[in-house]
Amino acid sequence: MIFVILKDIAILSAISTILALVMVLAQRWLSNYGTCKIDINGKRDVSVIGGSSLLSSLSEKQIFLPSACGGRGSCAACKCKVLSGGGPVLPTERPLLSKEELSAGNIRLACQVKVKSDISIEIPSSIFNIRRYHATIAEIIDYTYDIKGITFKFDDGEKIDFLAGQYVQLETEPYPEMKQRVVRAYSISSKPEINDALQLIIRYVPDGICTTWVHKYLKVGDKVSLTGPYGDFYLRETDADIIFVAGGSGKAPIKSILEHLQIVGTTRKMTYFFGARTVRDLYLTDEFKALEDVFPDFKYEPVLSQPDPNDNWSGKTGFVMPYFKETIRDPKNTEAYLCGSPGMINAVTKALMENGLAKEKIYYDSFG
Amino acid sequence: MKETPQELRVRKRMLPGAITLNGFIGKDKRSLNTIIAADEQELEALGFSPEDIADRMQYFTDASFSTFDGFIVIDGIYKVETEVVRGKLPCPYAHGGLYRKAVTKITNTEKNISLSWTSLNIHLIKDHHFFEGKGSMYRLEPSILVKALY
Repeated sequence: MIFVILKDIAILSAISTILALVMVLAQRWLSNYGTCKIDINGKRDVSVIGGSSLLSSLSEKQIFLPSACGGRGSCAACKCKVLSGGGPVLPTERPLLSKEELSAGNIRLACQVKVKSDISIEIPSSIFNIRRYHATIAEIIDYTYDIKGITFKFDDGEKIDFLAGQYVQLETEPYPEMKQRVVRAYSISSKPEINDALQLIIRYVPDGICTTWVHKYLKVGDKVSLTGPYGDFYLRETDADIIFVAGGSGKAPIKSILEHLQIVGTTRKMTYFFGARTVRDLYLTDEFKALEDVFPDFKYEPVLSQPDPNDNWSGKTGFVMPYFKETIRDPKNTEAYLCGSPGMINAVTKALMENGLAKEKIYYDSFG
Repeated sequence: MKETPQELRVRKRMLPGAITLNGFIGKDKRSLNTIIAADEQELEALGFSPEDIADRMQYFTDASFSTFDGFIVIDGIYKVETEVVRGKLPCPYAHGGLYRKAVTKITNTEKNISLSWTSLNIHLIKDHHFFEGKGSMYRLEPSILVKALY
């Protein structure tokens, strides 16, 4: 009896072992896509080991498509044109593609497309400027009760080339409440003329994975990684008057633009409306007011929507929109740069257009 | 109630650190189905469906979202404001789609009840009948929602 049981166990074990071996071999040989070629814009190609996502395959070759979700197929920031070799659009991509993109058939999420054969893609040439940087935290400044300015000094003489107004993606390190890394986008707040370091302005968001790490755990001397630069929010080189509107951490790209203009010089008429609720939400006010003496025609206008009576606030109050009329001298020759929530962007865009600004001259970096 | 592999995958995505820092379950040990069934039952007894509640929440969020900043007063009773921060969140049910990181704060000044919800809360209630687990940061008690919103 025992012999029969042992024999059955031996047979079952042998079958299991053979099946496991078959699976390992199948994995090795059937899923082995070998070396695949990624043709980029018909101008350059890179060779990668097949089987990984297009996003990570490109990343291995130091080509960084934007991605805010770490390749989990939820942010849709890694959209690119796949001309051939990407296979059909996957169910995981469909909800994140517009009707136009679906009908075009070649707009894909790079994080979902597997590289299994030679593949041909089209990406903006600006992507080639995006790199991964390793940095050390050089300074952390508390600007307000919930906003910090963090300076990242690049390691090993690395330098970044960006346009004032662009953003980078910061990668978190694991911390007690969070074991995995996440990636989040933040506008650069320092000027591009400083290329061996950069500053980000980050507001604490309750329940926010990255901002909790930044505000509660990050300290001077810590090592971090970031990629960039990304984005098409940057100063257009014209002679048009400028209206800036941004509150909270939305001040970051405007600070970068103004600091850049301070270096290169400008005679453009510029007005910056900084919307906040109370005096405790204001920061860098003296520094921005001081720019009124630097530029020939610049005005910094903090506007409080809910000033506390104890603040003794004597500046502008309410929303920023009613002040546009007295500020705009020639709507046909005025540009606007906005950074903040979609509600703010919509309300300000509407008001600017009512004051005669052309929609195509209103540039924005929306949080939503 | 035993959970299916699909429900276990959803529960995993609801744990702290997967999508949000604090997750969606709180200290609730019940299965997702049990949590949902209990809330559906409570709501039904009050004469409302999750869809009714979600539509009402969306109405207030949309109304407050149209303002530049700060709160608006709706129907002379509801003080509502929505704050949006950068980024979007996926649903833990992983069916695609992203939801703004927006928090709506509402105060029913007549009944003196204040509540907060996210854009993802509205979706979870409308499409999954999920009000989050007990002790979760954005758990919404159906009975309090009914009191506050109507």
